[in-house]
Amino acid sequence: MAEAKTAVEVVRYTVENGVAWIRLNRPETMNAVNGALRRALADSVKQADRDEAVKVVVVTGEGRAFCAGADVREFQSREGALEGIQQDYEFLLSRLWSMAKPTIAAMNGVAAGIGASLALVCDLRYAVPQASFVEAFVKIGLTVDGGATWLLPRLLGSAKALELFYTGDPLNAAEAERLGVVNRVVEPERLEPTVRELAERLAAGPSHALGAIKRSVGYAMNATLEEAMEFEFHLQGVQMRRVDFKEGVAAFLEKRQPRFQGGGSGPPA
Amino acid sequence: MEYENVLVDLDGPVGVVTLNRPRVLNALSPVLVGELNDALGRLDADPEVRAAVLTGGPRVFAAGADIGDMSERSPVEQLQRDQTGRWGPVAAFTKPLIAAVNGYALGGGCELALMCDLIVAGDSARFGQPEINLGIIPGAGGTQRWPRTVGKYVAMEVNLGGAPITAQRAYQLGLVNKVVPAEVTIEVARGIAHQLAAKAPVALRLAKESVNRALETSLQEGLAVERKNFYFLFATEDQKEGMRAFLEKRKAQFAGR
Repeated sequence: MAEAKTAVEVVRYTVENGVAWIRLNRPETMNAVNGALRRALADSVKQADRDEAVKVVVVTGEGRAFCAGADVREFQSREGALEGIQQDYEFLLSRLWSMAKPTIAAMNGVAAGIGASLALVCDLRYAVPQASFVEAFVKIGLTVDGGATWLLPRLLGSAKALELFYTGDPLNAAEAERLGVVNRVVEPERLEPTVRELAERLAAGPSHALGAIKRSVGYAMNATLEEAMEFEFHLQGVQMRRVDFKEGVAAFLEKRQPRFQGGGSGPPA
Repeated sequence: MEYENVLVDLDGPVGVVTLNRPRVLNALSPVLVGELNDALGRLDADPEVRAAVLTGGPRVFAAGADIGDMSERSPVEQLQRDQTGRWGPVAAFTKPLIAAVNGYALGGGCELALMCDLIVAGDSARFGQPEINLGIIPGAGGTQRWPRTVGKYVAMEVNLGGAPITAQRAYQLGLVNKVVPAEVTIEVARGIAHQLAAKAPVALRLAKESVNRALETSLQEGLAVERKNFYFLFATEDQKEGMRAFLEKRKAQFAGR
């Protein structure tokens, strides 16, 4: 019971206007990821994926950091056993990657190690000017994990990714925006309103279509052009049978704003 | 054809058989297996039917046998029931049989998919042989059809490790013909079945038989089987029609003779 209570506190999870807000809540440790936070994040992500009322997911941090990475104090204890960590990370990151809903990282500060992965695995990133990505594994004699070797080269190319991995130097928000890793840099007081506006706009959209777009992009990552086109085509056929498509076309013809119903966004799992 | 555990739908020349125990993830009870065999036997015997789709519906293909029903059984009881030996009619189906797999195809469910001629997988599909986790091994072809399909090492991984593989991996391994959005798996399988149904039935049957023989015999014997089947087809009306239509640049109409 004590652990369950801790798990609730280390992540603040709320749903507002179709948007699930997952807030890492260990500000005193710069949201360093320990066992409790790992499990709470996994639970929140699973809940957000399963909840039909959730159309968009936002991940952000309380305090001045987005997430400072793994809690190094845990490394030498049993809690830090590599196998358990691997399973938790895999679950968390692949669920965020594969869930058929838009995910947005609202980067209120530094994102290091697993924190960087958490931001990179989201579909979009909005960041304050003080935010940065830090892949400093090498500074404690470690290799890179948390999917960053897969995620970061896809976003900014292997040369830049390897430079960051080899040096452990931070990638600041402005440079990250220039390289296309961050969608937009906004002042701290504008971060949450900006992300909220976007997230709620997406949440009011045709969620089946947004989910289909994400599934197609994910599929295409491992497919040939021809395979990707076939997958797209099939999903388009599904979309064309949905009420949101009929509404979209009707609204276009009637020169008015469409009123989408949305609904579950995933495949029949 | 009224069954309790299986739905049969005739869509022109295509028979669609749906395993229909969704509440127990289409667990393959002896009754279900019996009905499935009967349904496929009838479709095979019906000259109007030229291809079939086998599916478990939108969410799950089949999550294996009924373990509750099996846990306390003795070897002799198992032998007498010979549950895994009763799959003959599925494997012996002479027309193209296409598996449309969504969700889990585990244990006997996976083995059932592997008995089909083509597999269309939804992006949510998972294939595996988890029997090892129960202290047993697959009993309906899992240890035999996996290595014949994907080779020894992946077969060992799947049969010894017990963890399922994703649709995408199955596709890369050649176990699956197509990965499609789960919403359209059955539709795509039906489409393929209709395409095949327009081809010459006797040629389809002998093509299927010849390919299956390739997995069971030497190359020399297999080539001999293929040659005999090839020559035999020149005795069919459909061969005459097929070649005439080709020369006349029109679409052939095959009669199945």
